[in-house]
Parts: sequence; structure tokens; C-alpha cells
Amino acid sequence: MIRPIAANIRSLTLVIALAFLATSMGVAYWSLVQAAELSADPFNPRLLATLRDRPRGAIVAADGTVLASSARSGSGYARKYADRSLAQAIGYASYTYGTSGVEAAYAESLIGRDAADPISQWRARYLGEQSPPASVRVAIVPAVQRAAAAALGDRRGAVIALDPRTGGILASVSQPGYDPNLIVDPATQDLAWQQVNGNVGKPLIDRARQGLYPPGSTFKLVTAAAALERGLDPKAKIRVDDPYQADPSWGSYTVKSPSQAHGDFDLSLAFQRSENIYFAKIGLQTGGARLAEYAARFGIGSVPRCELSAAKGQIATGGQLDRPILVADTSFGQGELLVSPLQMALVTATIARGGSLPVPHYATAVVDAAGNTLRLIEPGALAQAIKPETAATIGAAMVAAVEGPGAFAFGARIPGVRVAGKTGTAENASGLPHGWFVGFAPAESPVAVVAVLIENSPGGGEDAAPVGAAVLRSALGR
Amino acid sequence: MVARMRPAFRGTELGLIFWVALLVGLGFLAVIGAGASALQASSLIVPATFVAVAVALHLFLAVRGSRGDQLLLPLALGLTAIGLVMVERLAPPVLLLQQLTWTVVAAGAFVAATLIPRDLTVLARYKYSWALAGIALLASPLLPVIGRELNGARIWIGLGDLLNFQPAEAVKILLVIFFASYLEENRELLASAPARRLGSVVPPLAYLVPIVLMWVLAMGVMVLQKDLGATLIFFGIFLAMIYLATGRATYALTGVVLLLAGGSLAARVFAHVGARIDVWLAPFSDELRFGAGYQLVQGLFALGNGGLLGAGLGNGMPDRIPVVWSDFVFAAFTEEVGFIGAIGLLALYLVLVFRGMSIALRAPTPFLQLLAAGLSFGLAFQTLVIVGGNAKLIPLTGVTLPFLSYGGSSLVTNFVIIALLIRVSDITVRVRGG
Repeated sequence: MIRPIAANIRSLTLVIALAFLATSMGVAYWSLVQAAELSADPFNPRLLATLRDRPRGAIVAADGTVLASSARSGSGYARKYADRSLAQAIGYASYTYGTSGVEAAYAESLIGRDAADPISQWRARYLGEQSPPASVRVAIVPAVQRAAAAALGDRRGAVIALDPRTGGILASVSQPGYDPNLIVDPATQDLAWQQVNGNVGKPLIDRARQGLYPPGSTFKLVTAAAALERGLDPKAKIRVDDPYQADPSWGSYTVKSPSQAHGDFDLSLAFQRSENIYFAKIGLQTGGARLAEYAARFGIGSVPRCELSAAKGQIATGGQLDRPILVADTSFGQGELLVSPLQMALVTATIARGGSLPVPHYATAVVDAAGNTLRLIEPGALAQAIKPETAATIGAAMVAAVEGPGAFAFGARIPGVRVAGKTGTAENASGLPHGWFVGFAPAESPVAVVAVLIENSPGGGEDAAPVGAAVLRSALGR
Repeated sequence: MVARMRPAFRGTELGLIFWVALLVGLGFLAVIGAGASALQASSLIVPATFVAVAVALHLFLAVRGSRGDQLLLPLALGLTAIGLVMVERLAPPVLLLQQLTWTVVAAGAFVAATLIPRDLTVLARYKYSWALAGIALLASPLLPVIGRELNGARIWIGLGDLLNFQPAEAVKILLVIFFASYLEENRELLASAPARRLGSVVPPLAYLVPIVLMWVLAMGVMVLQKDLGATLIFFGIFLAMIYLATGRATYALTGVVLLLAGGSLAARVFAHVGARIDVWLAPFSDELRFGAGYQLVQGLFALGNGGLLGAGLGNGMPDRIPVVWSDFVFAAFTEEVGFIGAIGLLALYLVLVFRGMSIALRAPTPFLQLLAAGLSFGLAFQTLVIVGGNAKLIPLTGVTLPFLSYGGSSLVTNFVIIALLIRVSDITVRVRGG
């Protein structure tokens, strides 16, 4: 009747054996499957340990300027950073607080264990030999970086510039900043870390790639692309009467014209005057589903492919543009849209390079101690997001937005160069609107794209346009 | 109980102890050779003393004429040897000498548990005394003067500067003895009384009373002493033994449900329990990785660095894990000898447990069967709980890895368990012959 104890012992032993098997699989998960990811974690002290007892590789700008270097100090090595305006992009490598930015993304290369060099990795692991660290070359151009930092000044916001041909990031500023030298110096690190973390301005966040804002009128690039590819004639006149309401069901809600306009607008004029009612109308004609699809094609709502972590933003809170008012609002960059300056730079670069979305990258090459290139970082471009003709039409309208009579983005003009650009003044919950500018130059064969965001800026887009112009001018060598 | 004094030749045991001696010697050599610790007097004294203790225990059993299992002692000594190597590798030198002292004390406890009581069945006769002793011992850290609070948990006793002892470890054995005798008496009642009704999986209320009482006791330990590990071990042993005695999985499942319910309630009510759960769910989150999750995250880094073959003894960086020598000795071991080594280590435990279970299978009385199986299950369960905690399979609780972790209470308790298992096996051989 009652089961013999011996039988129960056998069953229990089987359960124990199975539990040991499951536990072994759990250990295997961490020590085999996850090993690579764990060893690349920016907080893994095994990577950081090498900071103290041997030099870490340098991070070098496009023109050869050393941006981060290790120098002997006492018994170990100390990290030095040349430009604090690059604090969030280059990051820091602290024994105590981990690594960030390029320092984190290329941590293994910088201690002589680049993935392209398996022999060094093997020697380091099994023979305890340390190969000399590799250096990382980045696309940052110090002159452009200085121009960007100077033009933004101490206003809260971000500037990011990239080369539309390669996706290489030429300059990246995020304000407020901090001094990474204080975070890596054992004498000052604790206080500095406390201050940086306690700062309400959140200086550790790279606003260029991690900050999310409503894009305002800069999003009209996307609306125009969606409408044009659905058959919108850019020359067609569309009637604008301020204020606009599609039908009475909108109740008290209306779309307002920034210039209280009454008249006929084509695409070019709508870009020049940043006419919200024009874009609301073409957005509604295009439809929410199509508009959302184009935003997604431009990378909004998904994490940019980039070696550094970047925010994904959103098209709408629910992911869909399913109400007419939301479609109208989204068409001119409000609604529930959230984007990072990096994402807007990528949208602009897509227009500049004829319709394909570039892959942004900070580093351009990993170079070993002897000066040999271990690997080039050339991620190339993603699939075509829009047709080349669409990109050309929008590019021409963006030139008109800067150069045309009465253009809102006149502040971005550069004598002797045709600049394409678009300002934005984004309403938001935190107070004064954010000022945006996105642009590229020269319009006919672009070599630089810029996105500028100034938080809670009194002049909105008008404040941002001159910052963009300064960066483009510097990138063109003028 | 006659003819005890005729010496027995225990050749297998002696041969295996030779390999254990080699293991401890090579281990110390590797750690010192890798530069992980300096060569000093203790580097020689510790392995030499350990080998002397190992041989002495073997001779003790041989001279006493024990015909019990010959694998258990070498397995326990082998694991202890790995533990000493890891303490030498990881912990400050003063802890190594303490651990050696505890090894000697544990050997003394092994001898004592082999001699006293002269007749093991005495244990079954005074079962309620053992239960009361267990509860008293469990409560002793709450007393003034001898009670100690270390690392936020009031689970220690000590006198003056004497070595601190965690009574909860020893209580494990008392509980197994009590359950074994209680269940031997009541198993028929518990197993057969409730007629199996169709569609009913839960046994009638009256039969759940002991489970509920034990659950209350376990929850009391968790609340009053904040000792999650002990709670889990006690309750686990209890459920396993109920199953062993009755063969009814419903008891065990009811207990598991009760434990989960109690645990999730405690996670809401008590901050220290909730914190463990949060760490378990997301140790890598920004808020936790530098705070409460730091230890686990560093432990996982160590596992990851281990890879297949390990960094080599003395070449890893497990010292970045806080109190690595007690809670995370498994992660440290895996970092330096790799997944292969970790599997080998788990295999040693599994062989130990199988050995204990096979002793239980053949034991002549239900009491001895339950005793041996309960003690073996305790070893297995404790190993799974701490290794599972290190590998983030379950929330981390501060229980020791048997024989390996730094810590005297655990070492002494585990050697007593081995002594009891060898005694049960000795009795079996004498009763059954051959």
C-alpha cells in the first residue's frame, strides 16, 4: 500500500541529478554563452584592471590630434583627455566607475585584445602575455568640434555633425558637460562622480544620441518624403488659411500657421515659411499608416545601428498614427513624436546622400602599436529609404528654406556656399520650445550634415540655425 | 556492536587520500606559482597539517575497524582541500589559518560523531529533545552576550574573541534526526490515511499541520534572523523528508506553494527580502550594479571570464567580488579552472550525494534510511542553492558551498554528516553481512 522508502530515495536522487544538470546548464550559460558579452561589459573590472598597470591605447582624431592618452603616473598609468566638449562621446575609463562612450565601445581594442587580433587575445588569456594596446582612430575633426562647442556655448543642448558619405561623426557636443579628467583621477573621482550624478542637468547623458525631444518642424522632411512618394506634386498650390481645422469633429483644436498665413503654398514655399497647415494637409492626405511607415524607414522608433548606445525614440506612444488630430500634429513634428539629434542628423544625411540611410560611427580604424591597421570601421549604408528623386526635391526645398526670400532658416546662410537646412521650434512640456536646426552643405555635393538642438531656447529654431551654419562652415574649411 | 576493535584495512580510502594530498600540494603550488599569494610559512604548514589530519582520520577509522563506505571521507577531504586552496587564493592570510583551525576542529567533530552515541538508534529515542535542542540552538543568537550580529544577520554565537559559530548549520543535523524519527513513527498515518479522492490533490487539513508548523518555524527564522539561506535549507530538507517517508509528492508540492507564497509576501513586506529579489531579476540595471547587485554582477563577470578552460589558478580576478571566499567561492573557482573545472566540482558533489543515497537505500531500518537520505539531500540541496545563486538561476542566499566555502560552522557540520553517513553504512554492512 505505502510506497517503500527505497523507491522514494531513488526518485529523489533522480530529481537531484536533474537539478545538478540544470545548474550545470546555468553555469554554462554564463561561462560559455554569455562570456563574450560579459567580458565586454564596460563595468567589468577585468578590462579596467589594465588601466592601472599598463598604458591604455590612445584615441586619435581624424587629423592626428590625440584625444585620450595614458601617461605614466606614480606606479601606474593615468588617463588624460584633451577636449572636455567630447566628454560624452569619447567617455571615460575609470577603474572605479567603469567606462563610457568610445572608451567603452572599444575597450577591448584599447587594451590590446581587439577582436580582429585573436592571437593577442589567446596569448593574453592563456600565456598571461599582454600585447601592446591598439589605438582607435575616430572621425572627429577637432576644428569642427571646436566650432560646434563654441557656437553652442553653455546653452543646454546638443550638436552632432557627420559626413553623409561615410556616416563618420565629425563633431559631437552635449551640454551641460563635465570634465572626464576628474572622473579618472583617483584623487578627485569620488567627489566628481557625486557631483556629475547629482547634477540636475544630467551631464553624463549624451544628449546627441541619448536625449529625446519632439522634432518640431525638422520632421517635415519626413512628411514631405512620405507625401512625395505617394504622388504629391511639389509645385501644386495648396490653400492655407490660418487657423485650420479639417472638420468640426476636431472641436476646439486647430492647426496654426507660424506666419498667420492666408494664401497658396507649394512645397518650396512651405519649407521657407515652415507652414504647419500645408504639412498637416499633406500629412492627412498621405495617411497615418504611410506617415508612420516613412518615419520608421528613416529610423525613428528603432535603435540606430551604432557602436555607442543610442535612444530609439518613438513615432507615437501607441506606435500607430490612428487619429486624424494625431496625424495632423505629427505631420509638422509635434504629436507624440520623440527623436534624438543623432536620428535627425541621420534623416538629414539620408536626404543629402540621395535616399539611403547611413550607419553612424565614431571610430574609423583600430591601429596596432606598430602602426598597422588592424581593421577599418566602414559600416556603409542601409537600404534605400526613399527614391533619389524624392531626396533631390526635398534637398532643393531645404535650400529654399535657407536661401529663399523670407526664409525662416536665413541664419544658416554661408556666403559662397549653397546650404540646405530646416529649422524647428518644438513645443514641449518642459517650458520654452526647443530650437532645432538640421542641414547640410554644399547642397550640390554634401560633405557635412549637422543637427543642432537647443533646449528651451527663447528664439527656437532661429537660435539653432547660426550654430548649424558655424559647424557647416568649419566642416567646409571656411 | 561487537568486534568493533578489530582493525580493518581500508585500502581504497587510503589510496584516494594520497590523491587528495597531491591535490592540496599542487593547488598551493599553483596559487603561489602564479603570484596570487606570497610564499610564507603558512604555505607549508597548512597543506602539511591538512594531510596529517586526513591520514589521521583514515587511521582512526581503520583502527576502529569501521567497515563503512570508503569513498565518503576522501571525497569530503578532497573538497576541503579545494576549499583550503581557494581560501589561500582568495582570502587574507589570517583567514587561512582560521580555516585550518576549523579543519582540525571538524576532524575532532568527525571523531566525536563516530564515537558518540555508541548506538545510533539512541538518536531516534529522544527525538523531541533533539527538536527542542535544535530550536534552542536556532534561537541562541538572539540571546545577549553570546549572540552576534555580522553582516546584518543575527545568526552567530561566539564567546569573547573565540571563533564565531553559526548554529543554524548544526541545527540542520538535529532537524534531520528529528524528522527521521518522527516520520518513521508517523509515515503510515501520513501516507495512507487520506483516501485518494478523485480530483483532489490537496491532502486534508489535519495532515498539513506539521507542514504548516514547519513553515511557521522557517518563516520565523527568516523574519527574526533575516537568514534566507537557512530558511530555504530547513524547509527544503523538511519537504524532501516528508516525501521520502510518504512517497506523496502532493505534500512536497503543497510545501513549495507555501514557500513561494511566503517568499513573495516577505518580498513585499521586508526590504531585505525584496532587495534580494530585485537583484536577482535585474542585477545589471543601472541602480543596482553599483549597489545591492554589485556582488552578483562581479560574480557573473567571474563566471564569464572562466570560459571553457578557465584563466588558470591564480590568474583570474575573482578578488573583485566582495566576500568571495564565502558566498562566491564557486564563481571564483569557475573563473580560474573554467567550465570544465566547475563540472568536475559538481560531479564530486554528485558522487558524494549518490554515495549517501545508496547508503540510505541499503540501510536496515526506516530511521536509518531517512537519516542517511535526509543528510545527503541536505548536502545536495545546499550545493544547488548556492551554485544556483552564483549563476543567477535563483535569488542569492548566503549559504555556504559545503566543504569549500570559508567558514567553520559549515565545515564542522558537514564532517559530522560524513561521519554519520559512514556509521550508517558501517551498521548496514554489519547487519547484512559482507
